[in-house]
Amino acid sequence: MGPTLEDQQLDAVFTALGDRTRRDIVARLSRGEATVSELAEPYAMSMQAVSQHIRVLERSGLISQGRHRQTRPCRLEPAALEAALSWIAESRRTWSDRMDRLEARLAQLQEGETP
Amino acid sequence: MNDDEFRYRRVLRAPRELVWRCLTEPAELAHFWGPAGMTTPLDGIVLELHEGGRFETRMLGEHGDHRMVATFTEVVPPERLAWVEPATGMHTTSTLDDLGDGTTAVVIRQRHVPEAMRRPEARAGFLTSLDKLEEYLAHLTPGDRS
Repeated sequence: MGPTLEDQQLDAVFTALGDRTRRDIVARLSRGEATVSELAEPYAMSMQAVSQHIRVLERSGLISQGRHRQTRPCRLEPAALEAALSWIAESRRTWSDRMDRLEARLAQLQEGETP
Repeated sequence: MNDDEFRYRRVLRAPRELVWRCLTEPAELAHFWGPAGMTTPLDGIVLELHEGGRFETRMLGEHGDHRMVATFTEVVPPERLAWVEPATGMHTTSTLDDLGDGTTAVVIRQRHVPEAMRRPEARAGFLTSLDKLEEYLAHLTPGDRS
């Protein structure tokens, strides 16, 4: 069983968010569109390095870049974030259910041991 | 350390050795592994309890079955158990903490490991540093819906 498309997207999203600068860029875009040079401003790194981060974010689907305007502003794409959030919610449900059943099993085992 | 994407903590009323046994013995896993609405028959469980050993479960449900194929990356009885699922890159770590009053805190942490890092030799020293991603995402998302 190979990874599904969904798995691959999640990989890309979590990998993209596994970097402090990229998380910072995502946080700034949550407040509205920004151009690459606006995004690069607060960092002590080259435009090229910032562009590289933006490419990673774009490939993951977390952000998109305008095609038509000269400045090509970046914007956040909420769907990718939501996919990551729903993965987290699903994991929580799976483990919470599993621990409910484990708790019941532990109670059963301990009752048996202390008559 | 906040390098995980998902974290779940639960305090169980049982001594740590018993919790460890339940998490590592196939006959016990069959009782609770689930997930909800699915069963995990004993004959579908492969559990080789050592680093590099196989950890496989077959979960049967009304709408088909689901197979988990994983490899243990850490086995430290009775406190730490970790495995990686090569197909998805999901790395799961369970930590058992003896709280000293007959209860045990279980902490489950999960994160996706990039494809290149899934081989055991590449995993050493790997850190993604996803600072409190869950809270972060929860905080971000509402603002995006304009």
